[in-house]
Amino acid sequence: MTLISNAILSSFEIAAIVTLIDFLVGLPMAWILVRKQFRGKQLLDTMIDMPLAVPTAALGFSAAIFWAVTPASLNSPGLDLITSPMLLIILLHIVFSYPYMVRSLAAILEQIDTTYETAGQTLGASKFTAARTITLPLFRAGLVTGIILCFARSLSETGGTMIALATMANSQGFQTGPTIIGTWKPLLVSHPDLTAPLAFVSILLIIFALALLVVLKLSVMKVKLPKGKVWPKWERILSRGFVPRLKDGSATIFLVILVLIPSFFIFSYVATASPTSADWSGFWSSLAYSFVIAGVVTVIDIVLGVPLALYIARNRSTKFSATLDILVNVPLIVPTAALGYSLGVFWTGQNLIPTVDVLLIILAHVAFTYPLVVRNVAGAVEEIDPSYEETARTLGAKPIQAFRRVLYPMIKASILAGSIMAFTRSLGETGATQAVVASANTAPVYIVALISKQHAYYTAGLACIVLIVVSFLFMLSLRYVTHRTKGAN
Amino acid sequence: MPSIEMKGIRKSYGSIKAADGLDLDVRNGEYLCLLGPTGAGKTTTLRVLAGLIKPDSGSIKFDGKDMAKVEPEDRRAVLLSQTYCLFPQLTVAENILFGPEINRETEEEKERTLSDMLDMVRLTTRADAFPRELSGGMQQRTALARALASGADTLLLDEPLRALDARLRISLRYELRSLAKALGITTVHVTHDQDEALVMADRIAVIREGKILQIGTPGEVFDYPNSPFIANFVGQSNFFVGKVAQKRESTRVSDGRFEVEARASDIEVGEEAVVGIKVGNTEIIKDQPGFFSGTVERILFEGRNLHVDIAVEDIGRFSAKVPSWRLGKIAMGDKVNVRWNWDKATVFQMPEKGLQEELKVE
Repeated sequence: MTLISNAILSSFEIAAIVTLIDFLVGLPMAWILVRKQFRGKQLLDTMIDMPLAVPTAALGFSAAIFWAVTPASLNSPGLDLITSPMLLIILLHIVFSYPYMVRSLAAILEQIDTTYETAGQTLGASKFTAARTITLPLFRAGLVTGIILCFARSLSETGGTMIALATMANSQGFQTGPTIIGTWKPLLVSHPDLTAPLAFVSILLIIFALALLVVLKLSVMKVKLPKGKVWPKWERILSRGFVPRLKDGSATIFLVILVLIPSFFIFSYVATASPTSADWSGFWSSLAYSFVIAGVVTVIDIVLGVPLALYIARNRSTKFSATLDILVNVPLIVPTAALGYSLGVFWTGQNLIPTVDVLLIILAHVAFTYPLVVRNVAGAVEEIDPSYEETARTLGAKPIQAFRRVLYPMIKASILAGSIMAFTRSLGETGATQAVVASANTAPVYIVALISKQHAYYTAGLACIVLIVVSFLFMLSLRYVTHRTKGAN
Repeated sequence: MPSIEMKGIRKSYGSIKAADGLDLDVRNGEYLCLLGPTGAGKTTTLRVLAGLIKPDSGSIKFDGKDMAKVEPEDRRAVLLSQTYCLFPQLTVAENILFGPEINRETEEEKERTLSDMLDMVRLTTRADAFPRELSGGMQQRTALARALASGADTLLLDEPLRALDARLRISLRYELRSLAKALGITTVHVTHDQDEALVMADRIAVIREGKILQIGTPGEVFDYPNSPFIANFVGQSNFFVGKVAQKRESTRVSDGRFEVEARASDIEVGEEAVVGIKVGNTEIIKDQPGFFSGTVERILFEGRNLHVDIAVEDIGRFSAKVPSWRLGKIAMGDKVNVRWNWDKATVFQMPEKGLQEELKVE
């Protein structure tokens, strides 16, 4: 019992700390990305998204060998710095939640016209005062999105966390909510008495996550910023000279040291470690399995998600649509391991479908990737003036023709973006997969098993790299396709 | 080209009535301007015509055929919004061919339509440009060409000139009207700009609070307004409030101190009445007697004219336009007499909610 409560408590603590750090360092970075012009901006922009392309299982391994004190048999070239499992997990979670925060903040910042700030400055406010009192209050909406995404991501991460804990020398039996589910579910066959505690953990995680979502949504919009107060002298000092440079510099250094190096440290490990031979056939088949699942999941997401997104975006004012919007996003905040477990119980209990593993995994993955497609597409559709479609209608187009010829070309990029997110999320997911089918044979689960059961670090490292390279290639080709179709228009 | 008949159209959004029993007839091939202040229900009327909004009640007929169940794409009525809504991912030529593609015209027909349309709107050299590369005027012409190419016989224009700069707006007035008239297309043009409506329309329908107040030729609506609101909204007016003192070939209205003269009316002697006189028909004179006199409190130089505001004790402000050559002959603080020709002034019944409320432009 204490094990469960401790694990859940640490889950929330970690998520809160991670989100706070993400915000503090993500804000200056978002500012740099949107407002500054400099050489290499394009590169920086791409770098920020890099960790998103790496499956979290690979990230977990990579970050652990970089930061943590590891067993001697691993022979890691990393820093051997960290012995506290909680600190390691915080550092790991920052790596993959940071891009979400930066992206959410940057997206809103992009929409806020700089003329407001300029107006503030011509009225006598220093740069810092203008930004603090005028721009900051305007982007709470982006802040809410960023906080929710980071929090949810950290709260639900399973695979990377399990791997990081298994990789470090002495994890002191440290557990988070999702890792408990991940560890116990495979034991369920031999220990049926674990059913109740497992359900208990899942329920607790779901309830707390939902409660938190509600509290966050309500509170962030209500917090009063001290925009009436102004400290001209101090804020003027903060606007000039070395302070802004220090801010920009430290934001960049943070990105490199805390996010980028840990993400790709695995390459240097594999390069320096002594090779061991291993049987690869298991990995290849698991990789193929993962790809098939991710592909099917993405197709289902698109087919079901685009119509729903259209409905939500075009009927904003109705209560039903607003409710749908919230419901769709629920799986985003609920930890995927808990979600997977409850879905598994639901589908197997209902006897509605034949309980084939692949089918169960696909259903679980659809549940948490579906919102990604819906959100992306709904966001894009909302940006587009409905008069385009209406004009097309009055020009003689049937609704379906108006969609295909007018709206679809405008939202194609967002459908692709949503699909890429859904695909990579499905490919990298460990927690939900394990929770729904204990013996699932997807690539991330396979890597977790390699490390925690066989201690085959070198093989796991190579497997991670293959996973990274394959995901990267996949994303690049998708990007290429998007750019080419854009060029053709 | 259809004639359009709207009867008893009602549409409300919550407590807001966008159309409140609206009746409107548009004749075959007519250029009708729907003129009204912001929030009067102009755009709603247009969208009901296009079929994009289903009215809560009332009927719409095109050429006597009920349109209630006809979808927007089958009405052959093109809506042109303020921003034109040219499809950004398509070139000028592709935009123009949007309708013909949907109608599955043959390649030959499409080619002919395209070259005709490009010729007509003088955009042949820009056929491969994207909308964002065009000036405001070119975008407007492209949108027009796209509308005509779709085979539409009714044009629904929602403030089509609003996004253009002032000079272009004025030159395009004539172009737009003559094109629509030459093709014999029935046009409903929504605007809040009275000058635009006066210049362009065959007939003007003045709309307020979801109702048509008056419909008539520009001359009728300007010279013979049927309410103080229209007198003021279509060309600014001065108002004099009093009681009818005498009814003959002209009407005399008195407030007890002054008496003014206006056209004949049905209002009985002794009843409260409002006399409206267009600012442009108000004369200010120094050496002859007027209906009453006041003090010049403001002179605005408008180029061709001077706009003069006169404060009249107990009555309020009266405005007049005088030719610019009088600049220097009239000065702030001058005592002047105010008069007008009685056959230019209209007598109205006192509005139920009072004159202030009547003149309010939301």
